[in-house]
Amino acid sequence: MTTTTRQATQETVAASARNLTKTYGKGDARVHALRGIDLDLPRGRFIAIMGPSGSGKSTLMHCLAGLDQASGGTVTVAGTDLGSLDDDALTIFRREHIGFVFQSFNLLPMLTAEENIVLPLELGGRRIDDAVRERARMLADTLGVADRLGHRPAELSGGQQQRVAIARALITQPDLLFADEPTGNLDSTTSAEVLDHLRRSVRELGQTVVMVTHERDAATYADHVVTVQDGRIV
Amino acid sequence: MHTVFLASLRTHIRRYVAAAIAVTVAVAFVVVVGVLTSGAHSGLMDGLGAPYRNADHVVSPTGWPSSELDPKAAIAFTERHGENASATGRATLPARANGRKLSELTTVGPIATSEKWRWQKLSSGRFPARAGEAVVDVYFATAENVAVGDRVRIGEGVAATDVEVVGLVESPSPPAQASMYVTWPQLLRWRDQVHLNAVAVRGEVGRLPEGAKAQSPEGFAAERLTYVQNRVNSLAVMLLLFAGVAIFVSVLVIANTFSILFAQRLRDFALLRCIGATRRQVVRSVRREAAVVGVLASLAGALVGIGLGYGLTALIGALAPGVPMGAAELPVLWLLGGFAVGLVVTMVASWLPTRRVVRVSPLAALRPDTAVDVHTATGRVRPAFAAILLVTGSALLGVAMVQDSTALMVAGGGSVFAGVLLFGPVLVPRLVWITGALLGPAGRLATKHAVRNPRRTATTTASLLVGVTLTTAVLTGMTTWRSALDEQIGRDHPIDVALTSPKEPVTTDLLNRVRHTPGVERAIPVDGAVARVSGLDEPILVVTVPAAAQVARDGGAFARVEPGKIGIDSEAFGKNLSLRPGDRVTVRVGDRRARLQVAVGTGWGPAGVVAPETLATLTDAPEPHAVWIRATSGADPARLGGDLDKLADPVGATIENGLRTWESLDRQLGIYTWSALGLTGIAVVIALIGIANTLGLSVLERAREHAMLRALGLTRGQLRRMLAAEAVLLSVVATLLGTVIGVVFAWVGHETFVKRALREATLQVPWPSLGVVVLIAALAGLLAAVLPARRAARVTPAAGLSLD
Ligand SMILES: Nc1ncnc2c1ncn2[C@@H]1O[C@H](COP(=O)(O)OP(=O)(O)OP(=O)(O)O)[C@@H](O)[C@H]1O
Ligand SMILES: [Mg+2]
Repeated sequence: MTTTTRQATQETVAASARNLTKTYGKGDARVHALRGIDLDLPRGRFIAIMGPSGSGKSTLMHCLAGLDQASGGTVTVAGTDLGSLDDDALTIFRREHIGFVFQSFNLLPMLTAEENIVLPLELGGRRIDDAVRERARMLADTLGVADRLGHRPAELSGGQQQRVAIARALITQPDLLFADEPTGNLDSTTSAEVLDHLRRSVRELGQTVVMVTHERDAATYADHVVTVQDGRIV
Repeated sequence: MHTVFLASLRTHIRRYVAAAIAVTVAVAFVVVVGVLTSGAHSGLMDGLGAPYRNADHVVSPTGWPSSELDPKAAIAFTERHGENASATGRATLPARANGRKLSELTTVGPIATSEKWRWQKLSSGRFPARAGEAVVDVYFATAENVAVGDRVRIGEGVAATDVEVVGLVESPSPPAQASMYVTWPQLLRWRDQVHLNAVAVRGEVGRLPEGAKAQSPEGFAAERLTYVQNRVNSLAVMLLLFAGVAIFVSVLVIANTFSILFAQRLRDFALLRCIGATRRQVVRSVRREAAVVGVLASLAGALVGIGLGYGLTALIGALAPGVPMGAAELPVLWLLGGFAVGLVVTMVASWLPTRRVVRVSPLAALRPDTAVDVHTATGRVRPAFAAILLVTGSALLGVAMVQDSTALMVAGGGSVFAGVLLFGPVLVPRLVWITGALLGPAGRLATKHAVRNPRRTATTTASLLVGVTLTTAVLTGMTTWRSALDEQIGRDHPIDVALTSPKEPVTTDLLNRVRHTPGVERAIPVDGAVARVSGLDEPILVVTVPAAAQVARDGGAFARVEPGKIGIDSEAFGKNLSLRPGDRVTVRVGDRRARLQVAVGTGWGPAGVVAPETLATLTDAPEPHAVWIRATSGADPARLGGDLDKLADPVGATIENGLRTWESLDRQLGIYTWSALGLTGIAVVIALIGIANTLGLSVLERAREHAMLRALGLTRGQLRRMLAAEAVLLSVVATLLGTVIGVVFAWVGHETFVKRALREATLQVPWPSLGVVVLIAALAGLLAAVLPARRAARVTPAAGLSLD
């Protein structure tokens, strides 16, 4: 509980969890991945979630991001209780409020980098006009992949793919950007670049970024570090 | 390796289900054909010998089937033996019952009064005991609406006789079969029309009639059976051709399943190679999987085939008692054959994909993300080879059309089709792009999914392409044939129904009543006069019909007779017509006369058609003596004929019903078209299973991508729609391509051999039906997407993301 601010108000909290639990399986095979998590994620900050393998980091992120239903407790993002939304509403909520960067398989292989970046807008039914393209180009420029927009993921390096993924996550200006081990597959120089981009999006664009990682080096880029162990925050 | 084999079988067996169904359907098809053939053989065997079972000898023509017994000699021979002989045969005679004409194919055969010669099986009523009584074949009775107690007038003119139907019988022996049976003495009333095909004799045969031979009943039955069985067998070969198409389509589906599955498991194989499995071990394990699938699917197919085959046999027995269908023996050879075909097909279809497995290097396991980018190169050799096939094939087709050579046509068609299939990986994705553009932005993702692996897309669509090409060719061929026949029959039967009243002129009242009869579209009065024609015993009607075009099916061409000629309906005047085309006859009306040349046609009833000028020289006051009628489309010929008969009878007029020919043609072509469609339909169904299968396997492969799309905001509905659009794109593209190729093939076939048979045939493309085919394909594509899409949409994004 070291870094959370209990008395945070709606303006300063991007997302919060109360008594969040998640169990997988039934009977003997039952696994308690999360055992009662209370957490507030401050707005406009770079938060790292750390912990040993199997501690429940990814599960926590999935529940906070509305990718999975929690078994108990509540998750509130941008003032909305995610438990009250049905699947379609939750999907549309994600589309509008949450961005993602995963460890790998981030991009659709048959789309070009540019098409991948504008994909969340396209899914929302937005016309891909010149204004959208200009915005994608600007983001790509900031992230240093502007000259790669016409390429397919297979023709990009791992670091370039991650940066394209970040551009895609940012294009909707989400309330929260989740990244699950975004540097897991990258060498240290490239990781540093990607982490730097994430931090700049917090500093310069005012994004809130939640990053799951188990690399201590990565966590040093964050403003706050939440440590999870055995399904609890320590 | 054994544990790996078992474990992967356990894990992957469910993914083989669709491929296994394809094999099962194809094998079942073969086995059903086998059971039906065996049933038909045994049915024929049971029935055929029945009329001769108590005979010592059977006398039949020596040169059968090309020659027949001389009717007079055969009748004399039968008479000579009295009670010790029984003849089988029939006379084709006009017959009327309940005030309407029965089928033109009504035949009358003999039925013995003695138990020992009687072979027909009574199904209701009783057997005829004397002249004036008849029994009717049950099947014929149902078709023609004849019941026990009805009176049937057989023959016409002086030989016409009324008989009472006293019973219905089953008559299972094809050589002896007739529509109805009367006693031998009664049958001899029409001795000039009777054709006998065999005489069963007890005791000494004596002197044989000219051109006849005597055989044992067994020998005779065997001879006839071989002949009929050959026809059953050629039918079976036809069916097997369709089964071959179904098998080919199955090969495509299975090959595709294996290549998709193996592509997905490439990393597993590489990993096995890394940890020390040899190439041989890996490949053997994979081939054993294919063998297990093949064995299980073929077994299932054999069982399904047996069940379906016996079910169909029973159904045919119940629905069409006239078809000789006996209890089928278990067709062991067919079963083994079907099973072997299924196994071989599976092994062959898995051969290429497994060869690709051989080539996987252990390093593939170490390379990240190999499975993701599955673009397969189309290479240069394939398109080049495809181009060669297309060019030579088209050239062959061209030559075939010029030389009317069916063999060249088949070779050229095969070559072109193979070319199209090989060209598929280049062609199909482009077509998908074009079609996908029509779907708008919603279909863009689907389009991209559909074309991401050109070879897979091509193979998936190829199976449907085969089925649709066939279906289109069948539909187009049938429509063309149909329109050609329509034209020909239009010439042979230009008038649907002709009401002819030689004695009294037709009153306006009668004309009006005819016009108000249901089923009559138009009716025109026909002016004429009663005339004596030299060479004809009875006076006939001579008419002129400038307005014939209003009702005639041939546009009235038959009625535009040149002055100086007279058109005679050779059918209406029957076989006794002594006039030949070109004869010069004198036509007299009262004391006026004209010298006219005879022209012969058919289909307008007992009247001579002349030019208006000619009639004017014969009479100054022509009166309406006939009414020519055009029926509405879809009118029931029997009812219309009956209704008009009721109007015609009281005034002594006769009815000539040409509509019946149309009806039987309709029915026959309908049966052909639907059977052909049903049979190609099986291939289409297999192809659709293939599309569902490809989609299902691709969905498994893309689980992570779908999860990511869902995370980014793709709703469940959008995901389902995306997959549905993908399936619809594939099936519609295959169908459109197949329609085009099918129409081209039908055109080539038309130029090559239809034109030879029916000179005036013009190619008719049934666009509405083809449109329906495309629509059905689109719907079926939707249907094929239902299961995979549901499965894909059920996965939560989080679960999908944690998959490898
Ligand atoms: N679908 C599932 N079914 C059953 N148990 C699961 C499932 N997903 C995760 N778990 C279990 O839940 C616990 C937490 O898993 P989680 O993936 O959140 O760990 P993590 O902290 O992300 O680990 P890592 O650093 O290795 O990615 C683990 O014990 C895991 O075995
Ligand atoms: Mg994790």
